[in-house]
Amino acid sequence: MKILEKICSPLGWLSLGLLGYGIWHVLNTPADFQQGNSVAILFVHVSAAKMALFFYLVLVAASIRYLWKKGDTADTIAEASVHVGAAFSVVTLATGSIWGKPMWGTWWAWDARLTSMLMLLIIYVGLIALRGALEDRQRGAKAAAIFALIGAVDLPLIHFSVVWWRTLHQPASLGNGAPKLVGPMLTTLAVMGVAFTVLGTYMLVLKTLEVREQRRLHDKEEEHFHNG
Amino acid sequence: MDFRLLKVVYSIAWKDVVGDFRRRDTLSSMVFFSISVLVTFQIGFDPDRQLAVQLMPGLLWVTALFTSLVGLGRAFQDEEEDGGIETMILSPVPRGVLFLGKWLGNLFLTLVVNIILLILTMVLFNVDGWSHIFVIIAILALGTMGVTGLGVLLAALTQGTRSRETLLALLLLPLVVPLLIAGVQATAGALTGGDISPWIRLMVVFDVIYLTLAPWAFGWLVEE
Repeated sequence: MKILEKICSPLGWLSLGLLGYGIWHVLNTPADFQQGNSVAILFVHVSAAKMALFFYLVLVAASIRYLWKKGDTADTIAEASVHVGAAFSVVTLATGSIWGKPMWGTWWAWDARLTSMLMLLIIYVGLIALRGALEDRQRGAKAAAIFALIGAVDLPLIHFSVVWWRTLHQPASLGNGAPKLVGPMLTTLAVMGVAFTVLGTYMLVLKTLEVREQRRLHDKEEEHFHNG
Repeated sequence: MDFRLLKVVYSIAWKDVVGDFRRRDTLSSMVFFSISVLVTFQIGFDPDRQLAVQLMPGLLWVTALFTSLVGLGRAFQDEEEDGGIETMILSPVPRGVLFLGKWLGNLFLTLVVNIILLILTMVLFNVDGWSHIFVIIAILALGTMGVTGLGVLLAALTQGTRSRETLLALLLLPLVVPLLIAGVQATAGALTGGDISPWIRLMVVFDVIYLTLAPWAFGWLVEE
């Protein structure tokens, strides 16, 4: 925990710098032949989507660690990663929608990836609600860890079944077949990917520290309440 | 396999099923809940015969899913009221066996309601699927196994929380999306004579995964 406090603000400045550099790259990337300037939003969208999935992996690792060894730190990180992951999935859905309007002519299509991302968001929200509903912290931690692991098994199944549903049942929907990225676009995407990874790490550290402080405050209140 | 453990599974399930048949508590509220949902659909869409055939698989599965939630919300009610869950946990059998017992009881009740629901759907919406009824019941059973398997685990997870039914729905619905998709597609396929084997396989995979994992997860959850 000590090390988190130390690296917190350097990480913040670093992510700010990298994001600035990334945006500079985005602005200098030539517009796409078909998509025009709206391709710019995809650099944010793709990076955010990767982070939304990445934080589920963090959550799974922290949950396994908690169920195995117990310990407050693993659980604090698990709770923090849920919030950060949820934030990134909201960004993914919002940017996807904004991109979809000019490209697909609609804010939303029940595309396989969009649907899976929405389910991921609902699972994140469910995890937040589950913790909120269980008063006892140990019980909440255990329930959330178990649910996170159930979700981890389910997410591939959800994705797989939605893809099947979309391809077997209806003609393949829009956006299938990843477009080829070339030269400057690839560089921009890589820079944005790194920037978002650092930003995500910063957010996780910040949220972990916040959750820890919240818990301390809660414990102090309880103590005070019981001692009169 | 130790036969005494099977007997424990059976006694827990039997206790829940018989208890419910005597009180006509969960079973009747599930049946009337599903009828109300059917009425709501009829008013909402007022389908003609052709539309009814198209809507029927989705209608059946959405109603079955919501109705299962009614039963799942009460899965641990008896134990909560009488403090029976502690007694159950104290008994010298593996926790997974306790889970299987609770699951089997819930599965039986939900399946009975879902079969009644299927018949009601076909009668009330004038869908002629009588020649495929056993196939559709088998598909329903596969779906119900997965939904109740995950559902009983989540009911244990959310036990004793405020606004538990809402939480249960929020947690369960995204997880059973694969079953919902496969169930609707397989039912539609059975009615129109399409190929249903990929969807059946998907449901079997889902059921096998979760019915293997859920007893373990339940064991972790209730351990002290």
